[in-house]
Amino acid sequence: MNGNIYHNRKAQWAIYLAAFAALALLPIFFDSPFTLNLLARYCVFALLAVSVSLVWGYAGILSLGQAIAFGLAAYGMAMTMQMQYQDPVSDPIPSFMLTNELETLPLVWAPFWSTPIGLILTFGVPTVFFIVFGILMFQARVAGVFVAIMTLAMTAAWYSMAYDMQPFTAGFNGISPPLPFQIFGTEVDPYSAGAYWVCVAFLAVLTLGAKFLMQTKFGLIVQAIRDDAERARFLGYNVAYYQVVVFALSGFLAASAGFCWVLIVQYVSPTSLEIVFSISIVIWAAVGGRTSLLGAIIGAFLVNGMQSFVGDELQQVWMLILGAIFIGVVLFLPRGLAGFFELVLGLFSGRREPQKSDWNTGRTSAVTKESAE
Amino acid sequence: MKVSRRTLLKGAISGATVAAVGAPHFFIPNPAFAAPWIEKGGKIKVGVLFSQTGNLAVVENDSTQVVLYAIDEINANGGVAGMQVEPVVVDAKSDIKVYSEKISQLILRDRVISTFGGYTSASRRAVAPIVMARDHLFYYPTCYEGRECTQNIINTGPLANQHSQDLIPFMVENFGPKVYLIGSNYIWPKESNKNAKVWLERVGGEVVGEDYVPLGGSEFTPIFNKVRQQQPSFIFSTVVGDSDIALHKQYLQEGFKVDKMPIASLTTGEIETRAMGAEAGAGHFLSAPYFQTMENPTNQRFVEGYLASKYGGGGVTHYNMEETYLSVYVWKHGVEKALATAGDIEEVTPRMIRDVSGNIEVGDDISPEGRVWIDPDNFNIWLKPKIGQCQSDGQFKVIKAADEHVGPDPMSIYPERGVCKADGLHQPDGTVKTSVL
Amino acid sequence: MSVNDFWTPFALLPFLNALIIGISLISIWLIAALGLTIIYGTMGVINMAHGEFIMLGAYSTYVLQTLIGIPFLLCLPLSFLILAAIGWVIERGVIRTLYRRPLDTLLATWGLSLILVQGVRLIFGGEPQYVGVPSWLNFQIQADFIHLSGLRLFIIVMAIVMVAVTWFLLYRTTLGICVRAVMQDKEMAASFGIDANRIYSLTFCYGAGLAGVAGSMFGALKTLFPDMGGGYIVEAFLVVVVGGVQLAGSVLSASLLGELNSIFSYFTNDTFARFVLFTLVVVFLRIRPQGLLAEKMTRR
Repeated sequence: MNGNIYHNRKAQWAIYLAAFAALALLPIFFDSPFTLNLLARYCVFALLAVSVSLVWGYAGILSLGQAIAFGLAAYGMAMTMQMQYQDPVSDPIPSFMLTNELETLPLVWAPFWSTPIGLILTFGVPTVFFIVFGILMFQARVAGVFVAIMTLAMTAAWYSMAYDMQPFTAGFNGISPPLPFQIFGTEVDPYSAGAYWVCVAFLAVLTLGAKFLMQTKFGLIVQAIRDDAERARFLGYNVAYYQVVVFALSGFLAASAGFCWVLIVQYVSPTSLEIVFSISIVIWAAVGGRTSLLGAIIGAFLVNGMQSFVGDELQQVWMLILGAIFIGVVLFLPRGLAGFFELVLGLFSGRREPQKSDWNTGRTSAVTKESAE
Repeated sequence: MKVSRRTLLKGAISGATVAAVGAPHFFIPNPAFAAPWIEKGGKIKVGVLFSQTGNLAVVENDSTQVVLYAIDEINANGGVAGMQVEPVVVDAKSDIKVYSEKISQLILRDRVISTFGGYTSASRRAVAPIVMARDHLFYYPTCYEGRECTQNIINTGPLANQHSQDLIPFMVENFGPKVYLIGSNYIWPKESNKNAKVWLERVGGEVVGEDYVPLGGSEFTPIFNKVRQQQPSFIFSTVVGDSDIALHKQYLQEGFKVDKMPIASLTTGEIETRAMGAEAGAGHFLSAPYFQTMENPTNQRFVEGYLASKYGGGGVTHYNMEETYLSVYVWKHGVEKALATAGDIEEVTPRMIRDVSGNIEVGDDISPEGRVWIDPDNFNIWLKPKIGQCQSDGQFKVIKAADEHVGPDPMSIYPERGVCKADGLHQPDGTVKTSVL
Repeated sequence: MSVNDFWTPFALLPFLNALIIGISLISIWLIAALGLTIIYGTMGVINMAHGEFIMLGAYSTYVLQTLIGIPFLLCLPLSFLILAAIGWVIERGVIRTLYRRPLDTLLATWGLSLILVQGVRLIFGGEPQYVGVPSWLNFQIQADFIHLSGLRLFIIVMAIVMVAVTWFLLYRTTLGICVRAVMQDKEMAASFGIDANRIYSLTFCYGAGLAGVAGSMFGALKTLFPDMGGGYIVEAFLVVVVGGVQLAGSVLSASLLGELNSIFSYFTNDTFARFVLFTLVVVFLRIRPQGLLAEKMTRR
């Protein structure tokens, strides 16, 4: 171990735990339901950023498809909540289905009568999709730019699907379950401290879990693959296996975010599957620092917080500022704010340690099948 | 680091346990604020929730401006119940996620008494859950598909059944029975088309084709190709936004003749005709409750007053704006009526305003489109639909106005689902469902 | 919803017609993707702002035509020059520092697209504008079941011209040889005295210029609004990637995708057609990541 406290694992864990403890204690200071709900939304965005950080920062897979898992889970949750509101006898089908002349509940909706099955599908469907999609891509040794474009195309495809399958999804209008989520006989009011804690809990547990995983042997192999997939393959590791697992995990994280989102917003529409949204997630992670999970969280809070508060003041020029921030971060802070902290802490510890892995410049990320062969 | 990881973890776990045990308490909504929504001696706060930036701003910015104009007008004439009205203007940035964030800000933090907002159905549905959960009041001032029955939304635009009733018979009579339906691919056009079909059947028309383009889509060649084969008497269009402009431009390029096969639209208003160039718009028809060219003293005052005010930079008034303008007056009368019932302004709640809003009327002296009133059962608006034909200057000439007011009926083509009453949807089996979305 | 509402039953003549409409779609996809092919193919730069370049092309035509009064046909080369100039500035300012980090260019150009969209919205307002179509294009070709408007025909011809010019530049000029050399191996090319940076600059300018011409024509065909570029970017990328990032491949993949889109739209609807098409592309890339026409080359 060398001098920079940034790389001290104990210090890292302390900071992570302190950050989540602070988040969890916030409701004591802010009793405003609006602020709590807003912070819960940021937690959801932060969870999405963590999922990108995991798959991109640690595994070197630039996925522009995180919105798929988010959106699928959000639809699953919205369907579960909508069916909690429907009555099997007097009112068996949601009202929007009338426009499309549905007389019976479609088969895909039927399982959602049961809340437990609905929840299993909410988390299960996106994760399974990411496993299948991951196997499809990584078995063929697709890498770098091609992963980005394939996930992009897949996001566009799902968006069209959610948008076009109006009898099942209400299309562009989206689904807004009229009542909050009911579980264990309680109603989870989206503006309560309880709903906020659910979001914080998901964020904390999943982030810490991911951090722990990345420090195990598994995580180290994943990072080795990121730095040089070919070398890892020569050493006998099944590269595709590791990539699929990390990809699916990130899908599960994004799905959890989708679940929390509908819990606190009670609404889902195809915009949750939009390309713009999907790329925004990557940007949050990039601003905070892709190679740091906590950095990604900070990035998500920062960008969205600025959007909520600064964005209102500066209205018309806000998008210009946002665009400039992205370009600035990419050009001058490729490792985001976390990289900046690392640098500063390195200066304080008195020893400059040049982090000279190729990953800093992102060079290896461009490895494609052709050059790998 | 003095604190070991284990201690920290222990702390975190015990904290989580406490939270979990105590959880049921925290999931319950905060008790209602005791504080009144309107404080004596203060101002009456209302929310204005439209997009001022982003792609929806083209339409919604006008909505913001006209709400502010109406509030200025009300304030200059003594306010509501002797109190001044203070608009809380927020920008939804054309992002559905922001609509839902901002509505909670308006209700929970700014504590406005009511909110005016929304243009797309998606935005209405995004704000609906919290509006209903907090028993608040949302004025949705534009045309929509209906088929909803809630306790907390008042609408001042025409429903699908009000559009078709006059337009379809008029077009069939003047151009012939064969109609081709083209719409944007979402719920409102589909619902409007279903209504149109009901009226077509009554007057002996027939549908020769039905097609939908994606929102924002601008490729109409495949559809026009089918149109050419089917030779309809007219096109019934529910294409919205940018696509609508592309539709008219490509109609022209394809060499169709407006006197042989015009487009009867529910959407192509003054903003659109200006953006597509007058030559692409001229000759086509629009069904709307209001046109800028309507000749009556109230409208003259409204158009001149608005365009001369600091809000009138857009240069036109159109049906969506006028419906928004009306909603502010519907609200004003609602507050006054609620005050008369409650006796004390501090007792007035959003729900109270809604409950007394049935039959509230905006008279000829205020409403540029003429007298309108709110339906006491479903809280949509009674109005006289009009048919306008676009002229070469992009303005519309009113060529037919309904003689009688036409009532809104959100469930008009779904009688089997029940009837929308003030207390909810009365289902055929006798049960009442309060918030049907 | 019954099955028949969704699936249009097969009929020969309308189906043939759908194929012919497909040609029109091909020309649009191809024009949109051409600039991207050149930029991505030569430099390995993922330019997410390509759609915004098209948008800028449309707006520059709007300015030249409506505000200055230059005839439409002359607007095309002028848009090319304007966008080439903008491309030069952007290449110098942003892209140049990112050649070794292709994934980062994706993010930087995304930020750039935000700036361009909002900049245009601030200058021209958000409301849709239009580019007038010259009267000599107001004709239709009608022969049996074939029907084509003058503007569509013009766009098809322009697509052919643009591909031909690009082909000529790449394969029949010294400059083109240099470009292809850099494309194959930058270091080796440099050791032969080719100034790779200059080639990159020129390529980026040329690609941006092509997007400008595309914008001019799309402006005439459709509507101008600040967000219009977003509608082209995914399709353009798919054309490029499926084609194998080279000129002939892009022509082939645009043809394939355009026809498939037209056929799927005929059987179902435009939105569902997109879903099927995108899924097919993903599956195709899984089987053949190198694209339709594979060409062994080093990616940077």
